[in-house]
Amino acid sequence: MDSLKEDLKKQIIEQLNLEDLTVADIADDALLFNDQGLGLDSIDALELIVLLEKYHGIQLTNPEEGKEAFRSIDTMAEYIRKRKAA
Amino acid sequence: MSVITAYCRLTEDVCAVNGEVKLRRNVALEDSWFKQIYRHFDFSYPKFYKMDKLSQAGFLASELLRKINPGIMGYGDDEIALLFANRSSSAETDQRFKDSYTSNSAPSPSTFVYTLPNIVIGEIAIRNKWYGENMFAVLPKFAPDFYKNYAQILTSSDSKAVLCGWLEVTAGNTDVFLFTVEEKEGGTEFSEENLFRLLETAATH
Amino acid sequence: MIYIGAEVIVSPLGDNAEDNWQAISANRSGIALVPSAGFNGEDIHLARIAALNGSLRFQQLVVKALSTLVAKIDASIVSSDRTMVLISSTKGALDDNINDQFSETNVAVQQQLGLAHLPMVISNACISGVLALNAAGNMIKNGQFEHVIVVGCDLASDFVLYGFQSLFAVSDKPCAPFDAARNGITLGEGSGAVLVSGTKSVFKDPPLELLTGTSANDANHISGPSRTGEGLVRSVLKTLRYNDVSGDEIDFISAHGTGTIFNDEMESIAFDSMNLSHIPLNSLKGYYGHTLGAAGVIETTVSMQMIRNGMLLESLGYLNNGVSRPLNIITKNTRASLKTVLKTASGFGGGNASLLIRKI
Repeated sequence: MDSLKEDLKKQIIEQLNLEDLTVADIADDALLFNDQGLGLDSIDALELIVLLEKYHGIQLTNPEEGKEAFRSIDTMAEYIRKRKAA
Repeated sequence: MSVITAYCRLTEDVCAVNGEVKLRRNVALEDSWFKQIYRHFDFSYPKFYKMDKLSQAGFLASELLRKINPGIMGYGDDEIALLFANRSSSAETDQRFKDSYTSNSAPSPSTFVYTLPNIVIGEIAIRNKWYGENMFAVLPKFAPDFYKNYAQILTSSDSKAVLCGWLEVTAGNTDVFLFTVEEKEGGTEFSEENLFRLLETAATH
Repeated sequence: MIYIGAEVIVSPLGDNAEDNWQAISANRSGIALVPSAGFNGEDIHLARIAALNGSLRFQQLVVKALSTLVAKIDASIVSSDRTMVLISSTKGALDDNINDQFSETNVAVQQQLGLAHLPMVISNACISGVLALNAAGNMIKNGQFEHVIVVGCDLASDFVLYGFQSLFAVSDKPCAPFDAARNGITLGEGSGAVLVSGTKSVFKDPPLELLTGTSANDANHISGPSRTGEGLVRSVLKTLRYNDVSGDEIDFISAHGTGTIFNDEMESIAFDSMNLSHIPLNSLKGYYGHTLGAAGVIETTVSMQMIRNGMLLESLGYLNNGVSRPLNIITKNTRASLKTVLKTASGFGGGNASLLIRKI
C-alpha cells in the first residue's frame, strides 16, 4: 500500500468535509472532478491547493497548474513526489 | 387568506414538524446533531456534508417541510419566495474562516464561500430549482411583523408562496424555525400571534 | 409615485455625492496600490478610505453618510414613526465584533439620529444594496412606512480580502470590468445613502423616480455565476414587466461588472439574450472597487448623478472587448440626456436584483 496515497485520501476527506466517504471508497485512479468519481467542484479544487501547502509544504500560485495534478489520487501523489524531488 | 401551511422547528435537542417531535438528539452518538437528523430521515444529498451549519439547518428544515407539505412543489419555479432572517448573520462560519488563516494555515476557500448569511437561501434554491425572490435580513430577535409585512409585499406580486425562516445557529445555540405561507381557504391564519404561538409550542415539547 | 433622492457617497473620492461626481467625471479612480496588504504580504490594489482609522470604522462610515443625507432632506421626518432606516451590508462591523456585526451600529445610529425604529439590516451578499432599495420602495408602496432611508456600507477588510485571495479572484492590477485582460476584482470600501419616499416635498433638491424592481435566484451555484445568466435575465425581465417599461426605453445600464472572467461573461450573455446589448453600459468598479453590500447603493447613486448631470460616464479600466457577446461599453465620457436607467447586481448565493431610476 502506498502510504502517501492513503494519507492524501484521509487529508482530502478531512479538508473537503467529505464525511460520507471513507478511505476505502476512493480508488487511486478515480477522477476527482467527475460525477462518476468524487464529483468535486471548483471550490474544492482551490481547497486542494490549501491542502498541498498545509500538509505537503507545496505552494501553487496558479490554479491552472492544479488541473492536471488534481485529476486523481495517482496524479496528485505523482505531482507531490515530483515537486519534492525538484 | 394567507395561512401557515407547515412549520419546522430545530433546537439544540429537538427536531419537530408541525408541532410534533420527530427526533431527539442522541448525545451518545458521535455524529453532529444535524448529521443525526440527516441520517435519520435517509436524506441523500452529498453536498450536505460540505455546507456550514447555517446551510445544513436550512437544508434539513426545508426538506422536512417538503416532506410534510409536498404541495409547495406544485408552484412555478419562480413563484416561491425565500424570506429569511437571523440575529448573528454568519458569525459562526466567519469565526471558522478567520481561524483558518490565523492558525498557521492559509485562508480556506470552501469556508469563505459560506461567510454570508444568504448562502443558505442559495443552497435551498439550488436544491429545489427555485428562481424566485430572495431576502435575508439581520434582526435583533425573531420578529413576526417582519415576516408578516414582507411576505405580504412578496405575495402581492408574482410570489404565490413564501418559505420563511428564522435561522440562528451559533456555538451552543440552535434556534431554527421555518414555515411555509400560502394563499388558501381555512387553516392557521398567517398572523403575528400565531407565529409566536407556533414558535413556542414547537420549542417546549 | 416613489421618489428617490438626497443621494450621498462617502468613498476614497470624497465625502459627498458632489465631490465624488467631480472626481469620477474627471475619470479619477479611488483605487491605489497598498503595500503588503495581501495574505502573503503581497501589494494589493484596493479602494480604501485613508482617513478612516481606529475602531468602529463601519459605524463611523454609516453615521457620516446618514448625517450628510439628513442635511439634504426635511430633517423633521428623521425621528418620525413613519420613517425607517435600512442598512445594506455583508460584513458590517466584523472587525470590531465578529460575533455580533450589526447591533452596536444599529443602536448608535438610532441614538445619534433620534430614530423611532431600530435600523433593519439587509445582508444578501453583493445584491444587498439593490435589494434594500427595492425593499424601501416596497415598504412605501404597501403603506408600511412613508420614508425609508437606505444606507449601504462595507469595509475592505483583511477578512474579505484574504477570502477573495483564497478564491484566486483578486486582480493583480486595478480591476478592468469587461476587458479582455481582466483577471479579478479589486475590493473597495465606502458608503452610499439615499432617501426613498412617497412625499416629494421632503427633498431639498428635486428627487428622481424609483421604479421598484425585483430579485431572482440562479438556482445554480453558491459562489459562481450561472453560465446563462438565468437569474439576472429573470430579474430584469420581471422588473421591466412590473413597471410596464420596455427594453427600448432604457437609456443606460449600470451593470454589476466585477472584473472576474465569469461574472462579466455571464452579464454579457444575459444582456444579449434580452436584446439590451446595444444600450450604453458601464461598471463603476474601476472607480470604487467592489464595495460588496454598499455597491448597489453607491452605483445607483452615481447613476442618479449621471441623470442629473446629463453624462454617460466612462467604464474605467475597459480597453478591449473581453466578453463573448459584445456590449455597448462606454469608452469615454459623453453628454447625453438620460431618462430611464437600469441598475443590476449579482452575487454569491446565486442572487440577482435590478431596479429602474427615472427622471421626472
